[in-house]
Amino acid sequence: MAKKPSMGRQKIKIEKIEVKNHLQVTFSKRRSGLFKKASELCTLCGVEIAIIVFSPAGKVFSFGHPNVESIIDRFLARISTAPNSHDPFHLIEAQRNASVRELNLQLGQILNEVEVERKRGEDLDNMRKTNESHYWWEAPVSKLGLEELEQLRDAMEELKKNVTHHANKLMNPSSMFVSNGAGIFDQYESKPSHGIVGSSNMNVAVNVNSNFGYCHGFF
Amino acid sequence: MTRKKVKLAFITNDSARKATFKKRKKGLMKKVSELSTLCGIEACAVVYSPYDSQPEVWPDGRGAHRVLAQFKRMPEMEQSKKMVNQESFIRHRISKAADQLKKLQKENREKEITHLMYQCLTGKGLQGLGVAELNDMGWLLDQNLKEIYKRIEELKKGKGEAPRNGVEEKQAPVVDGAMQRAAPPQQWFMEWMGNEGDNQQGMGGSFGHGGIGGSSGSGSSSGRGSGGGEEMMLPFSDGSNSAAMWSNVFFP
Repeated sequence: MAKKPSMGRQKIKIEKIEVKNHLQVTFSKRRSGLFKKASELCTLCGVEIAIIVFSPAGKVFSFGHPNVESIIDRFLARISTAPNSHDPFHLIEAQRNASVRELNLQLGQILNEVEVERKRGEDLDNMRKTNESHYWWEAPVSKLGLEELEQLRDAMEELKKNVTHHANKLMNPSSMFVSNGAGIFDQYESKPSHGIVGSSNMNVAVNVNSNFGYCHGFF
Repeated sequence: MTRKKVKLAFITNDSARKATFKKRKKGLMKKVSELSTLCGIEACAVVYSPYDSQPEVWPDGRGAHRVLAQFKRMPEMEQSKKMVNQESFIRHRISKAADQLKKLQKENREKEITHLMYQCLTGKGLQGLGVAELNDMGWLLDQNLKEIYKRIEELKKGKGEAPRNGVEEKQAPVVDGAMQRAAPPQQWFMEWMGNEGDNQQGMGGSFGHGGIGGSSGSGSSSGRGSGGGEEMMLPFSDGSNSAAMWSNVFFP
């Protein structure tokens, strides 16, 4: 499941892109990046901006702080000074600015978390790479020969049995009537349904596949 | 270009803020221009700041008016469909970042459990593990087994390209890296098997025979025999580990 390496930063000539597909992709990415830069400029320097962009398909995208319409109106009416700061709308504006501040904090936090997780992933990848070269069983399946695969298969089947057994043990401490007779008898009253040999197999199937909040939530 | 991480907050230092504004405004205008040229589209940008009595405009006053007129000619709904302000835009960014975080966490969890699984395959006990890890490992084992069974089928049918681990392969000079690594574990398994004789309990027949065939040939290739230790994780140092996979097989 290795990520395909992307092409990285390519130097590009500033002229109209010929390939329609590339043009569309470029538009999408750059428009997004442009709005991001505008948003950052507003946050960092407290300025007011409006950007209007028409897509190759003719749709229109716009970004505005505090909002697109007020900036456009201001511009078209040629009023160069900011609206009177004593008017009542100033309060609404102040509130909006406060919520923007909050949002930016939240954004900053989550971006940090992403960075942490990405670094963790890198470290885990490096560890895996090292291990792959040392231990044959960690190599990808396609690189293994038949006998190795059969060994691995048997080992994994065995481990799977043990894992299931342990998982069972943890979830049903009173129901250890397993088919080989090695039961763990508790002081607890064991429910009849758990005491039946056959049902311990049922537990196995149910438990391995059921949703513990991790099984499906994670994968 | 400096690469210091900038906090997403208003810059309180006046001179720093002014300097940042000049730089970033210039960059922004450049980006609008590039977008317009590369994609052959119409665009305009208007920037009001406390540093200028007049707004800064791209492409210029005339061009901006033209684009704005085009904008206003569009139906209201079209105008507002893709219209964003700071709030909505940042919320959108947060949502994308949250998705990305979830995806990364999922991937990392899988990597961790994979690592854990390999550790358990080579003898780490299951005692200390919680239900969540066990379940995830169970799932992962299923996934891997699916692949392995499929691959075994392929090889048996002669479709695969990888060499069979026949006895003759082991005697021959090793070409494939995987084969080379295979030899020591065979020998190592063999030593365990030695005391058990023909005990093939729990393991496929191929294992036993392959191992026997291998030991004679692997003597020369194993610079790192089972005693070699560091690279080969020998899991049986504590015999008390009854949950270790291999010991269950050999010592029921």
